[in-house]
Amino acid sequence: MHADPFFLSDVAGFLGGYFAFLAVMNGIFALVLWRSYGQTGRALVWTVFAGAMMILSSLALSGSPSLVPALPDGVRGLVNTLSGPVLYSLGTVALCTVLFVFRSFFVRPMVAWTLFNAALVLMGLSMADQNFALIVMKPDNVPIVGLVFLLAFFTWVATKQAVVNDERIARGEPPMEKLDDEKVLVWPDLVYTELICMVAVSAFLLVWAICLPAPLEEPASSVKTPNPSKAPWYFLGLQEMLVYFDPWYAGVVLPSLVIFGLMAMPYLDFNKAGNGYYSIAERKFAYLTFQFGFLVLWITLIILGTFLRGPNWNFFGPFEYWTPYKVEVLNNVDLNQMFWVNWLDMPLPRAAVDAPWYSRIATVLLRESPGLVVLGLYLVALPPVLAVTIFRGMFVKMGFIRYMVMANLMLLMLSLPLKMALRWTMNLKYIVTIPELSLNF
Amino acid sequence: MADKKKMSVAEILAAARAADGGAAAGAAKADAGEEPASPAAASPKPVPGKPAGAAKPTGEAKPAAGGARPSVSDILAMARGNKEPGATATKPAAEPKAKPAAAAKPAAAAKPAAPVAGGTKGVERDTASILAAARGGAKPGPVSKAEAPPRPAAKPKPAEPAAAKALPRVVPLKPTRAPLAAKKQDAEGEDRRSFLQIATGSFLAVGFTALSVTTGLFTLGLARFFFPNVLAEPPSKFKVGFREGFPAGKVETKFVAQYGVWVVNGEFQGQQQIYALKTVCTHLGCTPSWLEAEQKFKCPCHGSGFYKDGINFEGPAPRPLERYAIRLSDDGQLEVDKGRSFQEELGQWADPASYVNV
Repeated sequence: MHADPFFLSDVAGFLGGYFAFLAVMNGIFALVLWRSYGQTGRALVWTVFAGAMMILSSLALSGSPSLVPALPDGVRGLVNTLSGPVLYSLGTVALCTVLFVFRSFFVRPMVAWTLFNAALVLMGLSMADQNFALIVMKPDNVPIVGLVFLLAFFTWVATKQAVVNDERIARGEPPMEKLDDEKVLVWPDLVYTELICMVAVSAFLLVWAICLPAPLEEPASSVKTPNPSKAPWYFLGLQEMLVYFDPWYAGVVLPSLVIFGLMAMPYLDFNKAGNGYYSIAERKFAYLTFQFGFLVLWITLIILGTFLRGPNWNFFGPFEYWTPYKVEVLNNVDLNQMFWVNWLDMPLPRAAVDAPWYSRIATVLLRESPGLVVLGLYLVALPPVLAVTIFRGMFVKMGFIRYMVMANLMLLMLSLPLKMALRWTMNLKYIVTIPELSLNF
Repeated sequence: MADKKKMSVAEILAAARAADGGAAAGAAKADAGEEPASPAAASPKPVPGKPAGAAKPTGEAKPAAGGARPSVSDILAMARGNKEPGATATKPAAEPKAKPAAAAKPAAAAKPAAPVAGGTKGVERDTASILAAARGGAKPGPVSKAEAPPRPAAKPKPAEPAAAKALPRVVPLKPTRAPLAAKKQDAEGEDRRSFLQIATGSFLAVGFTALSVTTGLFTLGLARFFFPNVLAEPPSKFKVGFREGFPAGKVETKFVAQYGVWVVNGEFQGQQQIYALKTVCTHLGCTPSWLEAEQKFKCPCHGSGFYKDGINFEGPAPRPLERYAIRLSDDGQLEVDKGRSFQEELGQWADPASYVNV
C-alpha cells in the first residue's frame, strides 16, 4: 500500500506540518505543566513526546516511501477485514458504554489529553494511507473531522462538570454552579459576546472557504446519480436510517418523532433534580436516553455515512479502496416471505387479479398477519409489560398518559437499532410489507 | 436571595427615587404639616409614620421595609392631596363646567389611598403598582416623582391648572358633528357615490364579486399553464430499434441518458421477453446503475439492488422496478411508451402491453 510515491510526496508537506504542530502543542503543554503547576515529572514525559513528534515530522517531510511514518500494512489490512456495519455499530456502543461507566477516570485532564494525542497521532499515521487521506482530506469532510474532535471535547467538558458535581452532591455539598451564581445582563454582556463571536466566525469561515473551496461536481441530471450519492453531512444519519426503513418511516415519521419527542420532554420529565447544574447521577435515565439517541443513533451514523460508506452505499473499511465493483450480497427477505414460504412452506397468499376489493384487503391482511402481530405486540403489548416490570417506578410517578407517551417514543426510537440488528442477523427487510399502498415498516 | 447582590426592579426604582428624592422628601415633609386636611391623610395607619417614612424609602430601601414605608399610591395621594386645595381654589375661578371633574378628583385621590389604609398593600412598589397608582389619578397627566416636587412650588400659578382643566371642555364639542349624518339623510338618492351601492346592494357585494371573479380567472389561467402549447421534452413514445438489436440476456443502457429507460431482453417467470424498465429506484427515486459483472441494478443512494428482471432483492427498496409499455410497431421496430407504467406488485406485469415476446 506504499505504492504511490506521488501521493506520498504530496502529503509529506502536510504531515510534516501536522506532526510539527503536535510537537509544538505538547511542548507548550509541558512548559505550562512545569511552570504553572510544578509537575516536573509529567512535564518531562510530555517533552519527550514532543521530541518524538518532532522526529516524526522530519521523517514525514522526507517524503520517501520508506521513511514517512505510517501504520503497518498488516494493521491496515486487519482493520479493513474486521470493519463492517455490525462491528462498527456494536463497537461504538461498547466504546460509549466504557466511557460512561469509567467516566470518573476519563474526565481526568491528563487522561483526556493522552487520549486526544493518541487520536491525533493515529490520524496522522493513517493519513499516509492514500485511501484514508482521500476521504478524510476531502474538503467536504474536513469539517466532519473537526466536528468529531469538537464533540468529544464538549462532551468531555460537560461530563467532567457532572462528575465533579456528583461527587460534591454525594458529600452533601452544593454543586459548583450554585457556588458562583452571579448573573450577568443579556445586554450588553451576552449580546456583545455574540456579536464578537459572529464577526470572528464569519471571518474564519470566509478564510476557510477561500483556502479549502468546496469541490464542484458534475451538472445535476435526473437520470444520472453520482456514485456514491451522499446527503449533506448533517443528514447522513438520516440517510443511514433510510437503508433500513421505508422512506415514509425513516424520512418522515422518525424525524418528526425526534422533534416531537424533544418538545414533549419537559412534560414527560418528572425529575426535578439537575435543574441549573450538570449532573449524571441524579438524572441517569434522562442522560442515558439522550446520549444514546444523540451520540449512538445520530453522530456515529453521520461518521459511518461520511467515512465508511462508499460506492453503491457499500461499507468500506477506513483503508479500503472505494471500488464501485465491490460485491456484497445483501439478500434481504420480508417477514411475510420468511413466515409463509420459509417456515410454513406455503406460497404467499395472493389475491386473484379480478378479485373484489374486500377480498384483496383480506388477502393483504392475511399475508401481513405475522408482521402486524409482531408490531402490535411491540407497540401495544410491550408498554404495559414494561410498566409492571422495569419501568414500574416511572409508571407510578408519571401516570398513565405520560407513561404511554414516553414508552411509545422510547420504543419507536429503539426500533432503529432493533431493525438494524434484525437486518444484520436475519437479513430481514421489512416486518410489514404492503407495497400496494407503499406502506412498509 | 437574602443578600443584596441582586436588585429587583422595585429596588432599582427605589434607588432611582433616592437620587432625586432629596427635594421630594423635603417637599413631602413640608407637606406633612398641612396633610391632615386632605382626605388621604385622614386614613388611620400611615399618619404617624409618614413624615419619617416619606424621607426614608428614598434613602435606604431595604431596612425600612419593616417600618412605616408609604406605598407609591400613598405618595401620589399625598402629592395630590396637598395639590388639591390649590386646584380647588383655582377651580372656582375657572368655568363652572370644570367642576364635575374637580368633584371627581378627590374621589379618585381617595380611592388609591383607601386600600393603603387597609394595610397589606402598603409596601408594594413594583412598576405595576406605580403605573396603576399613576393611572388612578388620571387628571394631572404624567405623575412621576420628578414632577412631584415642582408642583407644590407651582401652586401659586393658577393659570396653568386652569388651562389644563379647560382642556376637557373641548371634548363635549365633538358631538356637534352629528348634523353630518342628518345631511346625509337629506341627500339620499342624490349622492353620486351611492350609485353603485344602490345598483348592487352594497359595497361589500361589489368587493366580493370582484374578488371572486379575479380569483376564478386566475385559477383558469393557472390551469391553462399546465397545458403548454409546446413541450420541450423528448416524446413519451419512441422507437428503440429492431428486436435483433437486443440479444438474449442483454441490458441496453444507451437510452438511460435521454429517456430514462433500460431495454432488457431477459427472463421473467420462465418466459423470455423484452421489456423496458424505468430507471427510478422504488425506494427514493435515485437512478441505479447496471453492474454487468454482477448482473444486477444497484442504487448508489441506499444500496438497493434489483435483479435483471427488476425484482428487488437487497437493500431497502420495497418493490420491483416499474416497466413501461412496449410493443412492436408497424415497421417492425420496438416502441416504448412512457405514458403507461406497470407495477409487478399489482400484478400488472402479466399485461401483454408490458413486454414483447421473443
